[in-house]
Amino acid sequence: MNSNSSYGYENISLIQVEGLTHTYDNGTGPVVVLQGVRLGIQMGEMVAIMGPSGSGKSTLLSILGLLMIPTAGSYTVLGRDVLKFDRSSQASFRRTYAGFVFQRCNLVDTCSVYENLEFPLIYAGVKRSERPAKIQDALARVNMTHRLHHRANQLSGGEQQRVAIARALVNSPLIVLADEPTGQLDRMHGELVMDHFEQILSDKDKAVLIVTHDPHVASRCTRVCLLEDGVLKPN
Amino acid sequence: MPRKPIFFDILRISIHQVIMQRRRYLGVILAVALGTAGFIVIITMGTDVKKDLNRDLDLLGGATLIRAYLDAGHKYSKIQQFQPETVDALRALPGIEAVSEIVSRPAVSSSVQKGRVGFSFVGADGSFWDVNSFTPIKGSFFNAEDVSQKRRVCVLGSDLALRIFGDADPVGRTCWIENEQYRVKGVLGGVAVGDLIGFAFIPITTAQEYIPGLPPPQKIYIRCTSWDDVKKVADAIPDVVHRHQLTDSLRIEVRWEELKRVQSMAWWVELFVYFATVATLILGGFGIWNGMMATVKTRKAEIGLKKAIGAEDRDILAQFLVEAVCLSFTSALLGGVLGRGAMEIGSYLLKSRPHDTLFFVCVGMALLFSLALGAGAGLYPSLRASRMEVLNAIRDE
Repeated sequence: MNSNSSYGYENISLIQVEGLTHTYDNGTGPVVVLQGVRLGIQMGEMVAIMGPSGSGKSTLLSILGLLMIPTAGSYTVLGRDVLKFDRSSQASFRRTYAGFVFQRCNLVDTCSVYENLEFPLIYAGVKRSERPAKIQDALARVNMTHRLHHRANQLSGGEQQRVAIARALVNSPLIVLADEPTGQLDRMHGELVMDHFEQILSDKDKAVLIVTHDPHVASRCTRVCLLEDGVLKPN
Repeated sequence: MPRKPIFFDILRISIHQVIMQRRRYLGVILAVALGTAGFIVIITMGTDVKKDLNRDLDLLGGATLIRAYLDAGHKYSKIQQFQPETVDALRALPGIEAVSEIVSRPAVSSSVQKGRVGFSFVGADGSFWDVNSFTPIKGSFFNAEDVSQKRRVCVLGSDLALRIFGDADPVGRTCWIENEQYRVKGVLGGVAVGDLIGFAFIPITTAQEYIPGLPPPQKIYIRCTSWDDVKKVADAIPDVVHRHQLTDSLRIEVRWEELKRVQSMAWWVELFVYFATVATLILGGFGIWNGMMATVKTRKAEIGLKKAIGAEDRDILAQFLVEAVCLSFTSALLGGVLGRGAMEIGSYLLKSRPHDTLFFVCVGMALLFSLALGAGAGLYPSLRASRMEVLNAIRDE
């Protein structure tokens, strides 16, 4: 079902967000984090969300990954209203449609690269016999097959981030959501990570959303959106 | 679409995590293992320890000794005796360690250099010493072979030996009883012997052969395996006797008061030991609970990450619950090994060996208990882990 180019959704809106608003109460009153955000992402796009700290970038990314639920607004993926999902369906969405790359704490330190990539496959119920091929394939895309049996804490920061990208890809998700993926990397490794993201887009049925501060990272995306005070503006 | 079951993967992940975090869990594992080993030792060795304790305590009171005798009532009644088949049937009763038949006669005499010494004598079988928990202070006692061969040997009470032989060692010397010669095999003495220090003992068969006018065996001593058996045996004796012979003069003597005291003391000791074992296991349970709470706290990032990549609440719950169960199960296995070691040492010291089946039943019970302990102690931490919000977990890191 998830094989490349088999979705048949090219040129249709993968993600559509309308009037997304998120507020929380910090004890002294409501704080508006996102205000009427409208965003559509097509397949094959790599979208960068930029903005100052505290502008709501990570909150938007978390909502898109169903890691949190907004206060108001609508969010559809391939036309399905995913905000109505219960906790179990949210988890199912995360393991089937979304792949995450975080700035930090991307891997389970005590496990090997293989085991880290196996987790999404386990939770997706992939047969044990099918896992090695998928893991090898994902690692090959980030040139990390030689580190297959190394423990995560034996890898450099750049290598860990590449393994995290491989893990995000191992279940062939529709969209990769990356939160400051190059934030802790030097320029050279940052470039390498962006190369891998661009490679993901060679599968036309996928999209990448990157939250970043780095203009250089943004410059390599197909589209950049600016988030200021919870309001999203096209750049 | 329903997902394929992933229990074995969860099990593998959990075992891997327990192995990786073994240092953190070492104290907990040891606590549960010691509790389990204690449980196994109590159950497997308890009977033997009780038996041993029972024997030692008996030196003070003879609480597990039952005396059964046929009392003719008044002097004109016909003298009755225990038939051999009655004694054999009594020996076959469950809860009986040994049975000894005796005959006795007061006022026999022994000639010594200065004249004659009067005393009482007992004709006993080879079990008499074991039944009464007697040990010789000099030489040895006569045994079953001496009895079956009707040998002319005797054991003297320490006081009687002094009266007959003075300060000289009586063992191996000849002693005259009712004008017959006997070789002294040993001397009986000590605090538990009581007024028997003034008695002479000869094999019952020899006595029946050489002592004239001796009454038939009217008295038997029955040593129960433990004090728990005394009542059952005392209740069963009349039935057994009446099934094998006609008599209306059976009397049974049990030291109920001593028995009650000994049982009460043993009950408290047993209660204390069980309490200590259960307390250790409960402490182990708290250790697991505490360890798992700390684990959940320090592994928030892992929990958040796993949820972000698609783990459901129940997957996280299962993982941490299985980790807790693995922990307690491993501890119980280690406890089984320690328990076996302790059992071997105990067996060597007590010179008795419990049946292996009992040991394996105990290990099985301990493993089952450990599963319940792990699940019980790990439930709350696992629930907390499973209900953690993804974002909070990741951000906390």
